[in-house]
Amino acid sequence: MTRSIIKIINQDHKVAKLTAIAIALSLIEFFFPSPIPGVKPGIANIIILFTIIKFDFVTAVWVSIIRVFIVSIIVGTFLGPTFFLSLAGSIFSLLFLFIFKGINGKYFSVISLSVIAAFAHIIGQLLIVRFWIIPHDGIFYLLPIFMISALFFGLVNGIVTRSLLNLNINK
Amino acid sequence: MKKILQFISKIQIGDLFTIIIFIVLTTYLSSILWNFPQGEYLKIDMGKQEIGSFSLNQNVTKVIEGPVGKTEVIIDSGKVRISKSPCTKKYCIHQGWINQINQSIVCVPNQIYISIIGNQTDYDSLNY
Repeated sequence: MTRSIIKIINQDHKVAKLTAIAIALSLIEFFFPSPIPGVKPGIANIIILFTIIKFDFVTAVWVSIIRVFIVSIIVGTFLGPTFFLSLAGSIFSLLFLFIFKGINGKYFSVISLSVIAAFAHIIGQLLIVRFWIIPHDGIFYLLPIFMISALFFGLVNGIVTRSLLNLNINK
Repeated sequence: MKKILQFISKIQIGDLFTIIIFIVLTTYLSSILWNFPQGEYLKIDMGKQEIGSFSLNQNVTKVIEGPVGKTEVIIDSGKVRISKSPCTKKYCIHQGWINQINQSIVCVPNQIYISIIGNQTDYDSLNY
């Protein structure tokens, strides 16, 4: 019987470190009560954006998806509706970030990416809610509340990410 | 203050563009989605019998004789409330004005049920 050898490369360390930070941020957010149900700042997205700009897109995908799984296992919502909402939001965010990551440069900064990611997140979640959890058009009445919060928190997260990137952390 | 100004001057033109686009999108969608239809008629029921429908575009006071006493309904150009009721809890009066389709006020002791109806019917989330 041959032993299977898993070689741990530098990439794995990087993903592990970033995911750990993202999980910590998610958990901090989880224990703070939200004034409106369903509205969350999504501070873990700071790490995802940071990863996309600082490293590459594939690393960000790993960090994002692993974070969703681990956080749901810790919090106890694994395979529940909350988990799928979170997963859908993350996948949509990543999809839009993949499309728009090229705009980051001279004219656009990570703030734009953050706002786009926040909107993609609510689009993904609302689609899941509409077609699976609450199959009724009434939920779209809530869309403006989510959009305003996405705009606000997307801006805040983007500003934080930009200052984080300006710090020039080399690890 | 200096830091804030410094920060604002560093915002790139594209970011401003993105923010403005999303603000416009949000306000536009909000105005579409939160455009609740206004009612056209007031329907009054007492027990199982329908008393009638009245246009909302008038200023009148209707007095309905129920099993307990007289209930006074005020129609004030588009909005409706119950102003006097013989019941003890006065929930119907405390509910205040209603003006949108499918909103209703119920006075259980006096068996009064008033609801606003329109030309187009809205979703009824209670019966759906």
